Amino acid sequence: MSTVTSALAGAVAAVPDRLWLALFVLAFGLVAAYVVGVINRRLLTRAGIPEVIEGTAFERTAREFDTSTVHILAQLSSYFIVAVTVIVALTVADVNYLEQFWSGVAAFLPRVFVAVIVLIVGIVVGDKAELLVAERLRGIKLPELGVFPPLVKYSVVYVAALVALGQVGVQTLALVVLLAAFALAIVLFAALATKDLVASAAAGVFLLLRQPYGVGDEVRVAGERGIVQEVDLFVTRIEADGEEHVLPNHSVFRDGIVLIRE
Amino acid sequence: MASLTDHLSDLVEDADAALLFSPTSSFHDRFVDDGGGDDPDVVVVAPDNDVDAEVFVELPLPFDNVKDRIRFGIEGAMDADLVAEGDAVVCIASVFDGGSDAVVRVTADETIHTGIYDLFVNSRAEPSVIRDVFEVAIELGKKGQKGKPVGALFVVGDAGKVMNKSRPLSYNPFEKSHVHVGDPIVNVMLKEFSRLDGAFVVSDSGKIVSAYRYLEPGAEGVDIPKGLGARHMAGGAITRDTNATAIVLSESDGLVRAFKAGELVLEIDPEEY
Repeated sequence: MSTVTSALAGAVAAVPDRLWLALFVLAFGLVAAYVVGVINRRLLTRAGIPEVIEGTAFERTAREFDTSTVHILAQLSSYFIVAVTVIVALTVADVNYLEQFWSGVAAFLPRVFVAVIVLIVGIVVGDKAELLVAERLRGIKLPELGVFPPLVKYSVVYVAALVALGQVGVQTLALVVLLAAFALAIVLFAALATKDLVASAAAGVFLLLRQPYGVGDEVRVAGERGIVQEVDLFVTRIEADGEEHVLPNHSVFRDGIVLIRE
Repeated sequence: MASLTDHLSDLVEDADAALLFSPTSSFHDRFVDDGGGDDPDVVVVAPDNDVDAEVFVELPLPFDNVKDRIRFGIEGAMDADLVAEGDAVVCIASVFDGGSDAVVRVTADETIHTGIYDLFVNSRAEPSVIRDVFEVAIELGKKGQKGKPVGALFVVGDAGKVMNKSRPLSYNPFEKSHVHVGDPIVNVMLKEFSRLDGAFVVSDSGKIVSAYRYLEPGAEGVDIPKGLGARHMAGGAITRDTNATAIVLSESDGLVRAFKAGELVLEIDPEEY
């Protein structure tokens, strides 16, 4: 009996301290990974993430595989910690072979982790944006508007993919240039299309704040004389003899206002 | 049970049109899919066209009173030439909360024509604005101002002309403010200001232009029922001179009345809503 015990003690003593430390680190890491996973899941659920992303394509796909976005994110953080733990444990245990490889992986791992998170968040946000835009446009029954929701979605996903690729160190310059061109086109078209609207709104803010004329005043604006019926952000409505003139506010501002007092 | 079924088939026999009040989409689809040659025209009456019905009449107020709801629906259908005078109309509506639980047969005729549909749909102001003002007036009629009955006069639409046919009694509390009826906070403001004398002027799009207005229309030729006071007379008269609609809450009998083109077009009791 005593020989067995002493043999065991000898075996235990033979194991180097480093290995014990490594085992300890590994155990601690696994527990930490599990705890962080659970906490993350609780936090995300508490923050109302499941309700917010309800109905997005990503969430639906996740559901098909009997999981959920929150689950995937929580698990990812767990796996990340496990991977780091394994590397740390290996380093502590002084496993010498392939040292170069492991140090490379250790430096690379957080980046991959961030890239995956960015990609998932990007896809979910893109889905959500698509849903929101589609919801907004549903009141307007125009089939051509169906182009917008996917456009918004893929723009968001594209940016997320760019960030993710940048994280893992892929050359994204060409893609960034493409994105810039796309953004420029959107800005240019938007500016062209809404030039008058923006000018009107700017003038409308002044008109609403200072009220140089109000409802019921008789005015002459841009050659039209009549009684002001309504002033809003974009247009002024002037009525005379059963004709209602709807004048954009920028023309009111450009041509000036004549207040008519008897 | 046979007599019950017989009675029901008597009710729906030879109907010229079927009015579905706020149907669920599955209920509506069942109706449309079955549509054979002889079936009556199906008209959907609802606040919004949720079921994508081809023939649709908008219901601007929810109308708790089923009689009013049906009346409004039929008037709307008559106005859109979906139902002609003398047609037998079968209405399927929900009396208690929940699904469609009642079948009512009505003959469309002149007595049903109260002008309420016209008031909402053919007014200068937007229907939602008229509805919001109605809601304020009804709520004010129900609760009064701090428990006491109050009167109020809202002139909705054609604000420019109304402003020219009235003068301020005091400083306009809504000067340089940009508030619209229907906003809950604004409704509270309106109720607070209802103790002021004079009329509220509301524009076509629902902006509150002024309070404290003394209306100065020409009153000749205004035909409103005897016994109504100065507030109603002023409200009725201003609608004859302008294209506005006047919504008046009576202080003495608590009824909400609407005037258009100098005539009383609608009278409702706030307690019924």
